[in-house]
Amino acid sequence: MQNLIAFIRRLRFLIVFLLFQFFALSMYVTYMSTPKSSYFTTASVITGSLFEIRHSISQHFQLEENNEQLQEENIELRKSSSLFLYNSSFSTLHTQDSIYAQQYDYIAGTIINSTTTKRNNFFTLNVGEIQGVEKGMGVFSSNGVVGIIHNTSPHYSVVKSVLTKNINIDVLLTDVGAHGMLKWDGEDPRIGKVTGISNDIAIPIGSKLITRGGSGIFPKGIDVGFVKAIKPIEGEASWHIDLEFTESYATLENIYIVKNLFLNEFNNIQN
Amino acid sequence: MPQLQIYFLRLLLFVFLQAFIFNQLEISPLIHIMVVPLYIFLLPFDRSVISLLFIALILGIGVDAASNTFGLHTSALLLFAYLRPFVFKFFSPRDGYDPLKSPSIFDMGNRWFISSFSVLLIIHHSWFFILEAFSFNEAWLVLQKSILSVGISFVVCVILQTIFIKRT
Repeated sequence: MQNLIAFIRRLRFLIVFLLFQFFALSMYVTYMSTPKSSYFTTASVITGSLFEIRHSISQHFQLEENNEQLQEENIELRKSSSLFLYNSSFSTLHTQDSIYAQQYDYIAGTIINSTTTKRNNFFTLNVGEIQGVEKGMGVFSSNGVVGIIHNTSPHYSVVKSVLTKNINIDVLLTDVGAHGMLKWDGEDPRIGKVTGISNDIAIPIGSKLITRGGSGIFPKGIDVGFVKAIKPIEGEASWHIDLEFTESYATLENIYIVKNLFLNEFNNIQN
Repeated sequence: MPQLQIYFLRLLLFVFLQAFIFNQLEISPLIHIMVVPLYIFLLPFDRSVISLLFIALILGIGVDAASNTFGLHTSALLLFAYLRPFVFKFFSPRDGYDPLKSPSIFDMGNRWFISSFSVLLIIHHSWFFILEAFSFNEAWLVLQKSILSVGISFVVCVILQTIFIKRT
């Protein structure tokens, strides 16, 4: 017994170190992979409000550029609105409401803090649970896909952006109809990777990648990027595809959060 | 206890510097400047390992909360704090450390600071980047990142000391 106590006393520093290390690493592994509530993110009140103050100063630097982008998007939307279209068949005019049921709801938000050069980049948004944001919702901008909500608090939320290690959004190659998984290798915030597309399919350089909408998080057809280069992987039957993102994440500010109103139904039928 | 208050204010300052200034400097994906290890390094010589580990835990959680790393900074800082006494022992002067001095570049001299701080900083940065990548495919990227980031972090840490520490 005396020996045991002496032994533990001699190793007490190592034991405390290993205990703390275990705590830190288990926290990292659990919160990194799955969206879970954690107080230790930028969605918390203290860090969230500090980032909001910082953003309220720095937002004016990009105001002009962001306004132009939003104006362009408004023009596109106005063009497709029913007020600007001439309806040639009057018989379908009144039936439109019963044909289309609303599947997606959108929440507008602003990025108040973001990084793009770290290995895993998270964006902080100025909207939270009060506005109806929930974990696992998709986030996109007028130019392309942005990420998935990872953590929420009443006033703020944290997005796991496409510039993280295991983002795994399913994407569709429009020209050939093949689908794969979006990844990021941490080297360049303008270049993404796609895996899982079989190398017996000929892929033209420059073909467009959109979201597939297969997991119910994103609607089908949100821009992701353009194919930049393809190369075969040795010993595997799939292409290694480099893509150029349509969105430049370093200057991104205005985003939309997607709420799929049919998500429960979708998940129930898949199980 | 003015000494304790100074160390507490310095802790807040380091978390602020890391989260709001050095995390926002987006120079390149290869450069990730980390200055928080300097705080652990500058704690007095007579601090016990247990108290170093507790301070590393608090500091790490603070930095993690502000940079969405969920415990990576904590893990690397704990390793830094645990290894500090071993490295100090290895580089100790012939007649031991003077407890009245602080482990800064001014009190202990350039040579001692460069050798002991760079060893600890290399271990800290490599541990951080290896854990962050956690795959052999990215070994080359991790190596590039570690070399570049350690160099720049070291220079920044020396500059920070000249700004914030009173020369004695």
